[in-house]
Amino acid sequence: MGRLLDRLKLAFGKRKEIPIPRDVCAPRESWDSTDLRETFCISVENRTFDTIWVSLSGKMFMDNADLVREELLAIIRTESLKNVVMDMGQVAYLDSAGAAILTDIYRKCKELNNTVKLANVPERVTNLLEMVDLEHFKESAILKPREAPGLLVQIGEGAEKLYANAKDIVIFIGAVAQAMGQDLIRPRKIKWDRLWKLVERAGADGVPIVAALSFLMGVILAFQAAIQLRKFGGNIFVADLVSVSICLEMGPLLAGMIVTGRSGAAYAAQIGTMQVTEEIDALRVMAIDPINYLVAPRILAVALVLPCLTLMADLMGIFGGCLVAAFSLDLTPTTYFNQVRKVLEVSDVMKGLGKSMVYGIEIALIGCLRGFQVRGGAESVGGATTSAVVTSIFVLTVTNAVFSLLFHYVPKLWSG
Amino acid sequence: MEKSMADKPDFENVPIISVKNLTVGYGDEPIIKNVSLEVLSGEVFAIMGRSGCGKTTLFKAIIGLLEPEEGEVFIDGDKVLPITHGGAQPILRKVGVLFQSGALFSSMTLAENVAFPIRQYTTLPESTVGQLVGLKLSEVGLEGYEKLLPRELSGGMQKRAALARAMALDPKILFFDEPSTGLDPLTSRELDQTIVKINQALGTTIVLVTHELESVFRIAARVIMIDGAEKGIIAEGSPEELRDHNGDPRVKDFFNR
Repeated sequence: MGRLLDRLKLAFGKRKEIPIPRDVCAPRESWDSTDLRETFCISVENRTFDTIWVSLSGKMFMDNADLVREELLAIIRTESLKNVVMDMGQVAYLDSAGAAILTDIYRKCKELNNTVKLANVPERVTNLLEMVDLEHFKESAILKPREAPGLLVQIGEGAEKLYANAKDIVIFIGAVAQAMGQDLIRPRKIKWDRLWKLVERAGADGVPIVAALSFLMGVILAFQAAIQLRKFGGNIFVADLVSVSICLEMGPLLAGMIVTGRSGAAYAAQIGTMQVTEEIDALRVMAIDPINYLVAPRILAVALVLPCLTLMADLMGIFGGCLVAAFSLDLTPTTYFNQVRKVLEVSDVMKGLGKSMVYGIEIALIGCLRGFQVRGGAESVGGATTSAVVTSIFVLTVTNAVFSLLFHYVPKLWSG
Repeated sequence: MEKSMADKPDFENVPIISVKNLTVGYGDEPIIKNVSLEVLSGEVFAIMGRSGCGKTTLFKAIIGLLEPEEGEVFIDGDKVLPITHGGAQPILRKVGVLFQSGALFSSMTLAENVAFPIRQYTTLPESTVGQLVGLKLSEVGLEGYEKLLPRELSGGMQKRAALARAMALDPKILFFDEPSTGLDPLTSRELDQTIVKINQALGTTIVLVTHELESVFRIAARVIMIDGAEKGIIAEGSPEELRDHNGDPRVKDFFNR
């Protein structure tokens, strides 16, 4: 209890009750102590009218550096008109923190237009201090985070990045198209990172989560629809809403989002890490085109797998809707499915599957592109992974909008 | 440790790598400027310098991983094309590279890693490929580890496996980028001994990028020293010459640590 109060007193009473020990410190066998205030001792003597002689004894190290610093600075502040001589004869141990304190003292004295000199410096301490350049302590703002550039600069840099990004994407797509084109011409020379393994990871491994989430999506859709449709007695139309909206929009989009998170991120991370460990360079040096070897199979895998997952999502979604219909809308499953059969057209399902194939190509392309853009270490790989997912989500949504427009207007143009 | 050149009179001392006026950089400032050198067939050649002096940049430009701003490189009579432009297939067939981090393909076993270039360049049947792989791995002392993945091995073993892969096709030229990084002195010495064995048995030209003096004195016949400030070669000759008879203070400091 007593000790805590002492400390509090010191904190509050800094300006008034500075305990400046006017007694000379007694030399000690060991300056080790659990109480940090016992690990050092500072005594002050007014030797001449314009100089104070500050004797340091004990240890000045990382653990007690703040305490020593406080005391020394307090002393210097009180005797602000006098030059300082620091007698280091009894210093048992000094480390870099101690050296940092001395530079603070030096600066403070300089501010007050006083000199500070060190006397009786032990050899060990001299060796340490010789390594310390005041230059090293000049930049006090070293730990401050880097200054963010101004708004105008940021806008400019952003535009530059956008342009460079767009260029990268176009070049990448070109390279991939060329590589895949060459594969089509000479299928015997195909050298791919195992396709079946990629299909398994992107597809089979994703089945549980896609099934579960699309089932839930069907349930949620039907549930929300039911609330509204009950008002009009239009319960049966739940089947219409769930089946058509899932097959046309929600199924492909949901499956696409899940695969983005699973495969798009994975590809960015895999290829990004290979970039960092020089595996890509190793491939190049063995005359393998990394785009052909790594990207082409991934695009093919996801393009094949995503329509299958989408189909499954469609089915599970419709089943989910059936569950709600049966339990809270007084519809029998038979009625529900008959309605679905009436309303759902094959073209609806095919449109959804077509969309998902395009999604698949985009997801794999973007994931791999981000991977190849990695320069540096872990931070860069993390950034690439995030960017792959975000870019994919954006591109998927835009593609969806484009398809919606196409499906809406092209038939009209067709029929005249 | 015997040096390579003196006891190999039957290998012609003909330049197998010619670098002419090479300037390479990563953007605004070139890292090395107007560098020319020659590596003779069958010799153990070391490119040395302090960290950050540009030796890895030079190395990557020689094998084609970097496109030079100016200058040309010829390997065994063929001009080196930067790999972004497709690379020069005949050259790559003759070259084996051991990267600083090993760069083994992390998703494949050691055996598959070593088999990779063999499958890429030859049409040998699988059984022969398997035999070659076994042979190469035992040459580096890794028999029994064929089915392990790279992450299941220590750093030194990964390096040796990467060496086995680089040697898989018995290339004419082997490039080593900082081979002793991450290795303890004993393992490093064993690796050096393996390098000398290969050089003497097959007459493989060895190009070594390193800052390790011990290795260089053990195995290199000729050395060049690159300086970052000068962006070029500041010394050339045998390791002993550079240590004892070179007047340049930078060279003396480096060799007499």
